[in-house]
Amino acid sequence: MSFLVPCPNCGPRSVYEFRFGGEIAQPRPALDAPEAEWQDYRFSRTNAAGVQTEWWFHWSGCRQWLQAVRNTVSNEVLETFLPGEKRN
Amino acid sequence: MNFYFHNQLVEAKPGDTLAAALYRNGQRIFSRSFKYHRPRGLFCVSGKCPNCLMNVDGAPNIRTCITPVRDGMKVKSQNAFPSLETDWLSITQRFDWLMPVGWYYKTFTHPAMWHAVEPAIRKVAGLGEVFPSRTSEYEHAWMHADTAVIGGGWAGMQAAVAAAERGEQVVLVDDQPALGGELRYQKRAGKIPTDLIEQIQRTPNIQVLQDSYCFGLYEGNLLGVLERTPHPTVAERLVHLRTRQTTVATGAYETPLLFPNNDQVGVMLSTGVARLLHVYGVAAGKRAVIVGSSSTAEEMSVDLREAGIEVIAVVDPNEVVKAIGSGRVKGIQTRAGNFSCDLIVVCGPRVPDAGLVAQAGGKLEWSDAHGAFLPTALPAHVSVVGAAARETLANPGTPLPSSKRAFVCLCSDVSSKDLCDSIAEGFDHIETLKRYTTATMGPCQGRMCQLSAIGVCAHETGRSIANTGVTTFRPPNPGVTLGALAGPRHHPIRRTPMHYAHEKLGAVWMDMGDWKRPRYYRPHGATNEAECVLSEYRAVREAAGLIDVSTLGKLDVRGTDSGKLLDKVYTHRFSDLRPGRVRYALMCDEAGVILDDGTISRLDNDRYFVTTTSGNLDFVHQWLDWYLVGTGWDVHITNVTAGYGAMNIAGPKSREVLGKLTGCDLASGAFPYMACRETKVSEIPAVLLRIGFVGETGWEIHCPAECAEALWHALLEAGQEFDIRPFGVEAQRLLRLEKRHVIVGTDTDALTNPYDVDMGWVVKLEKDDFVGKAFLSHAAKNPSREHLVGFVLQGPGVPQDGAAVVVDGQPAGRVTSSRHSPAQQTAVGLAWVKTSKAKQGESIDVRVDGKLARAQVTMQPFYDPEGLRLRQ
Repeated sequence: MSFLVPCPNCGPRSVYEFRFGGEIAQPRPALDAPEAEWQDYRFSRTNAAGVQTEWWFHWSGCRQWLQAVRNTVSNEVLETFLPGEKRN
Repeated sequence: MNFYFHNQLVEAKPGDTLAAALYRNGQRIFSRSFKYHRPRGLFCVSGKCPNCLMNVDGAPNIRTCITPVRDGMKVKSQNAFPSLETDWLSITQRFDWLMPVGWYYKTFTHPAMWHAVEPAIRKVAGLGEVFPSRTSEYEHAWMHADTAVIGGGWAGMQAAVAAAERGEQVVLVDDQPALGGELRYQKRAGKIPTDLIEQIQRTPNIQVLQDSYCFGLYEGNLLGVLERTPHPTVAERLVHLRTRQTTVATGAYETPLLFPNNDQVGVMLSTGVARLLHVYGVAAGKRAVIVGSSSTAEEMSVDLREAGIEVIAVVDPNEVVKAIGSGRVKGIQTRAGNFSCDLIVVCGPRVPDAGLVAQAGGKLEWSDAHGAFLPTALPAHVSVVGAAARETLANPGTPLPSSKRAFVCLCSDVSSKDLCDSIAEGFDHIETLKRYTTATMGPCQGRMCQLSAIGVCAHETGRSIANTGVTTFRPPNPGVTLGALAGPRHHPIRRTPMHYAHEKLGAVWMDMGDWKRPRYYRPHGATNEAECVLSEYRAVREAAGLIDVSTLGKLDVRGTDSGKLLDKVYTHRFSDLRPGRVRYALMCDEAGVILDDGTISRLDNDRYFVTTTSGNLDFVHQWLDWYLVGTGWDVHITNVTAGYGAMNIAGPKSREVLGKLTGCDLASGAFPYMACRETKVSEIPAVLLRIGFVGETGWEIHCPAECAEALWHALLEAGQEFDIRPFGVEAQRLLRLEKRHVIVGTDTDALTNPYDVDMGWVVKLEKDDFVGKAFLSHAAKNPSREHLVGFVLQGPGVPQDGAAVVVDGQPAGRVTSSRHSPAQQTAVGLAWVKTSKAKQGESIDVRVDGKLARAQVTMQPFYDPEGLRLRQ
């Protein structure tokens, strides 16, 4: 694993500067949602073989959480943005 | 320049490699083969075959044919006893019928048998020995360039100049000691282009890494480059080279031809002979027979004659019957008759060196027109130029019938017959054939044997070469020393502000993550750890003790919405905490699993002071930040761990000690349990938290790191009249265990929720919402299968952490922590048991010293169960 992540604050940096935060999950269920829904939320992942959006934390850089669109097969990072920023 | 070969002085000329100097001085046998201990001599003279591996200055498996001579080097042979010339183990050749391919899989099928013979086999078969006592320094470096060109031959130099002229920053990686590639030794190819080399050396935006090889092309266009001689103080330097474009100009290399005895000393690749002659001025022999069919063979013949080497004959590969000689070549038998000679020059197929392209995701496809596997489907950032892209194949000859034995793999002594036998056994796919025979898996990583192995496999199975395919190329290739990968021997250490005070007090250290912490103190004269810990324990229980807790994670959380964030992320409520008060804080994930614990003090309306466990600070900080993302809340979190030193003074006399140094009223009425104050101690600004992990009256004191050592000394001095003692982690663990306080991650695991460890009181289910609420609401009503309980052992001994709990002869849990408790006069501990057993007074059995011992379950602390001493 040696790909680059283009941090929106710091520019392209080695992936070793980042901590992986997992794929961006489905929305958090309501508190009174059925147990199965909560279990699905907590334990099930899409684990896509292809493009998915993920959380990354720039640990050795700006120390910000960011979101990245990454192809999990080629490890190409197509796009990154700060959470809440409007995507193109 | 001189060096030592087995204590004998060998003279070398400037520019010599070790192998060239040895050859000039008459050495012909350079190694003994892996399995049969057959004598082997120089073969490729370019660092691509395993024949010249030796021990150099204590480092094993050094390719002496590419290692420049340095004065005073000590060189020794490997895998031969008593000497290269007479190796007793060459007797194994006589028994090769006993050792067919994969014989150890078939023979030593019983594990006991394998264990019995393994040491002997490992001693007999193999490469050099590793000497753990030998140390070398290694470096890592990081470089960035627009273009990397791999290979310093004609094509590589042209590519580098072209890229430089486009204004790009270029790094040229060349595995030779000088630029020029094959032009340095192939007279037929032309003269060394001195103009071009000078131009490259003059161009400021071309950096040349000479005597360096690229061993891997990784994703993100990262190249692993090994500089073999960066400077005298390090053995090797590993360069992480990041580029936009990579141009592979690695050329082509020559590979062997298959005929019986093709591995004898005196059989040499034509490029090896040419290198010896034109780079080092050494004639490889006196009377040569050239085996080859192409024009290369004719050109070689002219070349050798000009150098004064007699060329007896040029023989077509298909005409060769075998090499004659025992170990060393005496002649060659051909269909046209026998020739006497001392050198057989093999003009073998030249293979494009395109492994890097395959590593980068490109494909190697067989081209009948070129007779080679050529790189296709190149990734966008990789290009191939020169011989690596298009080299043509010389006639490899017809593969041998399976009854004849020629060596395909020089590294691990795999013959064509072995390959045929394996195919007959069913290993007829090139990848399984590789794994079963280990052909292509030795030090040469397939450079010498891959094409031959594919040829034999195709011939034997009747498939075409294209359909047989090529084995996967993986980095690193060529091999890299583990030392170079590991890099400099730097290990980060974190020291607390009081580190040197501990050292003077005789601290015995333990590692906690990167931190160094005193495990216990060994005062002058003391030797026994248990006694030291016990006296530290006694001081805390009976007088006063002082422990450095600077390693605690410390977060300063400010802003009007701080309470809201802490309510959301921790299970307890903090928005209603009054300023000047402290609460125990427990953090769970959405599944209700305990992640971390600590304390949260409200220093002011909008200011909280959060502590975390030593190892989890980074995680907790990121976790809080993550929940803050996108909320727009007014919260600012600062990691102040290194900014604050912290210590805990505890024991019945601690109030009197601390009282001497502060004006703050420490009486329980003014400063009750679970309160906090910002004040001064010994004129040092400090935050005092009245909490009690160890179960006695005590204060956790946080102060600026630069004052912490002074405060530590002030407290010890003030406590002298009360017999205060510094105590370490081991005493703290015993003290907390007697209070049944849980250590997250030691007593809890990845399934533990607060109810399992009797901490339901920290979970405020009536809060609107918080992380884990849904799961914890469920867990509150549905007990887990296991529960953490305390136990008191009924007999002698102390169970080890992790010891089994047994009920009615069935495994029923495990011990997480156990110590001998001075308060209970026996071993106590924490253990996971079936929830049905989690009742006061239940009996369980615990494994101690290999036997089962009876223990009583308790749901209460082992010491001061009402917690009166804490509140005194």
